[in-house]
This record gives sequence, C-alpha cells and structure tokens, in this order.
Amino acid sequence: MPYAGIDVGSLTAQAVLIEDGRTLMLKTIGVRLLSKSIRVKPNPLDSARTVMGQLLEEYDLGWDDITYCVSTGYGRDKVQGEGMAQDNVSEISCHGLGAFTLAPQVRTVIDIGGQDAKVIRVDERGDLVNFVMNDKCAAGTGRFLEVMSRTLGVSFEDLGGVALRARNKVELSSRCSIFAETEVLHYLQKGYDVADLAAGTCRSMADRVMALVRRVGWEKEVMMTGGVAKNVAVKSELERTLGVRMFAPHLDPQLMGAYGAAVFAQRAGGAL
Amino acid sequence: MDVASVKVGSAMDAVNKVSEVVENDYVKKWKESGGKVLGYACVTTPPEIIDAAGILPYRIRALGNPNTEIADAHLARFNCSFCRSCLQLGLDGTYDFLDGFIETNGCDHLRGMFENWMYVKPADFFHYVKVPHLTTEDAMNYYVEELVFFKEAIEKHFGVEITDDKLKAAIARQEAIRDRLRQIYSMREGSSPSFTGAEALSLFLLASAVPYDDFIELADKAIAERTGTGVTGYRARLMLCGAATDELDLVRAIEDVGALVVTDALCYGARAFWSPVSTEGDLVKSLADTYLKDMLCPRMYEDFPRRRDFVLNEIKKADVDGVMVMHNKFCDVHGVDNVQLRLDLEKRDIPVLQLEKEYGSRADIGRIRTRVQAFLERIGGKS
Repeated sequence: MPYAGIDVGSLTAQAVLIEDGRTLMLKTIGVRLLSKSIRVKPNPLDSARTVMGQLLEEYDLGWDDITYCVSTGYGRDKVQGEGMAQDNVSEISCHGLGAFTLAPQVRTVIDIGGQDAKVIRVDERGDLVNFVMNDKCAAGTGRFLEVMSRTLGVSFEDLGGVALRARNKVELSSRCSIFAETEVLHYLQKGYDVADLAAGTCRSMADRVMALVRRVGWEKEVMMTGGVAKNVAVKSELERTLGVRMFAPHLDPQLMGAYGAAVFAQRAGGAL
Repeated sequence: MDVASVKVGSAMDAVNKVSEVVENDYVKKWKESGGKVLGYACVTTPPEIIDAAGILPYRIRALGNPNTEIADAHLARFNCSFCRSCLQLGLDGTYDFLDGFIETNGCDHLRGMFENWMYVKPADFFHYVKVPHLTTEDAMNYYVEELVFFKEAIEKHFGVEITDDKLKAAIARQEAIRDRLRQIYSMREGSSPSFTGAEALSLFLLASAVPYDDFIELADKAIAERTGTGVTGYRARLMLCGAATDELDLVRAIEDVGALVVTDALCYGARAFWSPVSTEGDLVKSLADTYLKDMLCPRMYEDFPRRRDFVLNEIKKADVDGVMVMHNKFCDVHGVDNVQLRLDLEKRDIPVLQLEKEYGSRADIGRIRTRVQAFLERIGGKS
C-alpha cells in the first residue's frame, strides 16, 4: 500500500507515490503557463485531484489504496481540508526531508521555485534546523528567469545551456526583475550576444540566491531542488561561489516537494 | 489549534466588533454628546494629558488597510506602508471625526504621515511633541518642557485648564486601563493561556479607541469570561517583536497554522503599558519617565540592551518556544534593530523567524503562513 505526497505549487502540481522507502510512481502535470499566456489561478483542489487521479489511474490504483497522504505547497491546507490528505507539511520541510532521503549526507538544500527561493538547513535526521525564504520579490526566483528568457528570445528550458556558451559574460547591475529586463533590452539593442546576456542573467540569479545562503549559512553537503535546479548555468554559478559540487538528486528536482511529503506520509504511517 | 476549549461568549465578540472598525459606536456616541477626540500614533505621547482636558485620546491605526492610492500621491512607495495606510484613511475621510492630532518624531515616516495629512486636510488643532533620542538629564529636561508645551497647547486651544488634580485623575484612569491590559497579558503567559494573540491585540486596540468607562466595562467582562479557561492544541508558543502593527488578520493567520502568540514586544502591544506612571512628585516629570526613560523603542539607538533584556525576560516569563521578529518594508529603525535582536537571541539558542513584510498586504499572507508553518515544524514538531 503506497504512501502519497501531493505538492500544489504556484506554477505546477506534482504527485508522488512511494512504497518501502523507494520511489514507486511519479506524476507531474504542468499547469505552467507559457510566458505569452495570461496567468490564471488554477483551483488547487482541481490540480490535486487531476495530478493524483492521473497517477492512480496509470497504476490501476484508487484513492482508497493510499495508506497515508501528506499535502504540501501553496494549496496544502485546502487539499487536506478536502480530505485528499491526512496532514499537510510546509514545502520547506518537504524539500529538506526529500533531499535528505535521497542523499543522507545533505545538510543544506537550495530550493528555487517559480515564485520563491529558499535555503534550508537540515540535521542528521532530515529535520529542519533553520531556513530562509526570499522576501516578496520576483528577483532570485524562477519567475525572474522566465521574464529574462522571454526578453532574450530563448526558451526557459534552454536558458542555462545558452548561458554556458557565453564568451564574455555581461555583468548586470540591477537586481530587480523589471529593471534587469530594461537593462538587458538596452544591451540587446546595442548588439550584445544573447549567450553573454543569458550568462549575466544566471549570474545575477545566483548572486541573489547567495545572499539568502549567506544569511542562514551552509554546510558543504548541498543539494539544489525546485525547477531552477534544472538550469545548468545557475547551478554551476552557485557551485563556483560556494566552492562545492552539489549533490545531484536521482529524481526530477521539481518533484522534491511531493517526494518529501510522501516521505512524511511514510513517517506518519509508521513505515519509517 | 483547538480553540473549542475557549468559551466563546458575548464579551470577546463585542470587543472584536469594536476593534475592527476605526470610528466605532462608542466614539460616535462620544462625538454626538459633544466630546472632542484627539489622534496620536506614537507610544511617546502620554494620553493622560489629553484625557486630563476631558478629550478622548484615540490612537491612530490602519487595521490592515491595504489601500494606499491617495496616500501614495504624498508619501513615496519607499515609505513605511503602515504610515501610508494610516495616511490613506486620514485622507479618504475615515478619520474625519478627529478634532486634531499630536505628532511626534517617533520616526521620519510617521512625521511624513502627519505632516502630509495636515498639508492636505488641515485640522483645527495640531501639535508637534519633539521627543529626544537620549535619556540623559538634559534630554529628560527637554522632554519635560515639551510635555508642558503640549499641555499648554491643549489648554489654550480647547479653553480648559489642566490642573494637577485633573492630571492626577487622568493618570489614575490610564493606569486602570493599563492595569487591565497587564492582567490580560498575564492571563496569556501561564501554562493555560486564556486569550489568543489576536484577541489580546483586539483588546489592546480597544483600550485606545473608546472612552475609559466603556473600556473598563468591556475589558472586565472579557477577563471574567475567560478566567479559568484555556486555549489548547497549539503547536508552539510564540512571541512577536518588531515594527508597529495593528494587523488582526496577520496575527490570526499566524495562529491559524497552529501557533499561539503568548506575548509580544510590539508598539501596539506590550511596549505601551507595562511601565506605571507615578503620582508622587512632579506629575509631568513622572509622565516623562514612563513615556521616554522606560520606553522600549529602537528609535532609542543606545538602548538596545534594555530592549533585548525585556524580550529575554518575556521569553522566560511566558515560556516562549520561538520568537517572530517582523518589520514593515522600509522601516529602518526596526530593520536594523531586528537583525541585532535575531543574532542576540540565536546566540542563546532561541529560535527566531525574521520577516520583512508589506503592511496590510493580503497577497503576502500565503507566504507568511508558509514560513510560520515551517518555523513551527522546526520548533514544535510536524503536527
């Protein structure tokens, strides 16, 4: 009988089922909006129902087959309130425990999602020791990269790869998403290379995240999670500044919240 | 948190109803019977002087108002959003019942709020009490002189004489109000808190928004109603510190995820009532001692050790599990003070959650809830 985690975030929703401590089944649905679209607010309950429903169907399971479910992400209390989960845990704890479970050496987790960035410190049990989250500002979050990739005419997914081709990385002076976009537009008009600007964008992002890392401190066993962990340039800039090679999760880093929630479900259900 | 164990009765409901509006029914009644009302905002303003003149002292609040569109034409977006929210209510007519204001230099944002308010909507009475940033003998003498000017300005404008007897009676009334607040706070600090943090804030706001008799009646009923009751089922006991906030919704959101706010060191809270006013000797000097020498506010830069010790003492007294230090964006004095406070508390292994927030921003509540929940998971277990 599997344990479940549902993560309904600001841009995407994920569901994870695990059994006997190993990842059994994963499902993610993209409610990510293309940058050209108008942003809408999806109902978190619909997202949870859809993502978990599809996952269960795929593996020929029903809701009743789930032993224990924990919800996380912005929609966590609503999902629990509707009876789809027995408990809800913050995404901060979930990312911490998820990363720790995959690599028990990990003590610091850098999670950069669509609308926020967090640095999480965990202990030798994977429990939260301390954390810091960005203030209400898009700079230093996935949203910043989304805006900048649109300005540069590069897909969000390709931005990191393009940045690695840079020969003369452009130093961006502004840390604000809006002003950084204006600055990049100015450079584009002057004929600067897109790769150099993409590298500058990723560097700027890493600088912003480093401010959070410095605030809460870090131990060298670091893992990066969240959608931005897929951006190779941001990851490498952070590794360079931290002077460490980060642990690579054997799991899509975007699924870490839901995975951590499922591990919490296992703990609550007495399996761990 | 399970609040079912708390007897929900009419007294606390009545308090909440009054505290959630600026111009409450008691103020309306006071005005209808010809009473005057003076607004003040800063904790360095002794309401006793206003009270002694037979005028109702009203502490200006914004009650989480998120709209600042009129105020933004006068105060820049990089001014404290609490001050902009108050200014908005001043300019949109919400505070038209006030007969004047007392300004202080509590901070520059506050001065900007009062002076722009007066510039756009001049009041008949406006007085600026200049409050020193030190408590040396010279500074205290200066402040005593300022309070005398304040008293004389009220006497002159409203045609009343504030005698020593009147001032003594006003001190006794304000002391009785403070005494109720001390009692309410003490009832939160024990092992079985009788009030939630949001309820205590609601009672605090009531104390500076209604006439004396009405407050005493409502507060005594609430105290009687809650004596012997207790909130149970919370995950952790928190203390709130930081910038001026009267956001009932914010405290409710914090408690909604399972925290119980058992004490605070807030300007709209504990900083305003613990220190008594002596009626021995020179009364104005007694007021100066309470409102400046004993005051806990980061505007007094040198006074940090006393502020920190107050927090440490409250942590012990109220058996606090963790401390939340908050400040509104662009609040320089608390922005600096909170960092020092966090570092000092963390040095003593006291868990701290530091938040910078926009005043009254409902859009930010989700993010604040996430951080508070994670903080509770850190200090108080997962459920």
